[in-house]
Amino acid sequence: MNEIYQSMENTGFATWIRESGSIWAYPIVLTLHAIGMGMLVGINWALDLRLLGVAPEVPLMSMERYLPWAWYGFWLNAISGVVLTFADATTKMTSWVFGVKMGLIVIAVLVLLQIKKQVFVKHTSNGKVLAAVSIALWAFAITAGRLMAYIGPVSGLKNVSN
Amino acid sequence: MWHLISEFSKWLMTTQLSHDMAGGWKWGWATCETLHFIGLSLLLGSIGVLDLRMLGFAKHIPPKAIHAMVPWGVAGFAINLITGALFFIGAPFQYVKNIAFLFKLLFILIAGFNILYFYLGGVRKQIENLGPDDNPPLSAKVVSWVSIIAWFGVIYWGRMLPFVGNAF
Repeated sequence: MNEIYQSMENTGFATWIRESGSIWAYPIVLTLHAIGMGMLVGINWALDLRLLGVAPEVPLMSMERYLPWAWYGFWLNAISGVVLTFADATTKMTSWVFGVKMGLIVIAVLVLLQIKKQVFVKHTSNGKVLAAVSIALWAFAITAGRLMAYIGPVSGLKNVSN
Repeated sequence: MWHLISEFSKWLMTTQLSHDMAGGWKWGWATCETLHFIGLSLLLGSIGVLDLRMLGFAKHIPPKAIHAMVPWGVAGFAINLITGALFFIGAPFQYVKNIAFLFKLLFILIAGFNILYFYLGGVRKQIENLGPDDNPPLSAKVVSWVSIIAWFGVIYWGRMLPFVGNAF
């Protein structure tokens, strides 16, 4: 496996992202990853809060209109996340904290899809339990993401700890 | 001015809180970073849903109704103000000489004046009476665009602290 990670890291693109020193390489990708996080988690949390009773005068079904913005955030982070992973594959792919983060994101996305199905499509649930679980999962996913700079194998950029 | 900032920063570094943040409390920095990202998401989402409505998305929602999310955005900002202050107290010289930090503060200021204009400049009154499917006035759309650009800018400059500037 390590050869695969090594070859990911050695691609021209991954090397440029990591070593060019250009503001358009690592720094911008990292910025997009933070903005995508804010969109995905933020919009998802706003939906969760509404499900839990915040802003009760908002027609619940209309909250579905915000979901595309959460998905824009998701895809922005899927793409920027793949780029960041390639740039540092030997470390990221062997970090158990990274694995935990990915697992939490998968579960959180499945929960969001369940909210869509049960609340907006089939109207079989008020979504309160799912909303509470969703809030916690995203908070844990962010925590795991941050801890990648502290626990397990840590590399990141030279001279930059995160 | 620089002398004053420098002396103040040196004094900060003599405090117990500064020592705790700068390594005395082992997980202090990581914990505050995590909370800072959680606050960022809470702020962006809670304010974002109002901005998007004022730009014409989710039109079935009366703007006044979605405005009830704002206190959660304020909570996100409060989390980030507190954790941000703790970073500053822990390592003031990472920030006072950092051009990215200056720009981050500038963009927070822009976002702040935009909010003042929204509440005191009559924009909130204009959207308060709007019902479902009503098109918000131009002033509300401008406020929304400024809000989105300003908060994205805050994130950008925050992320640039170690790259453009000298933090970490």
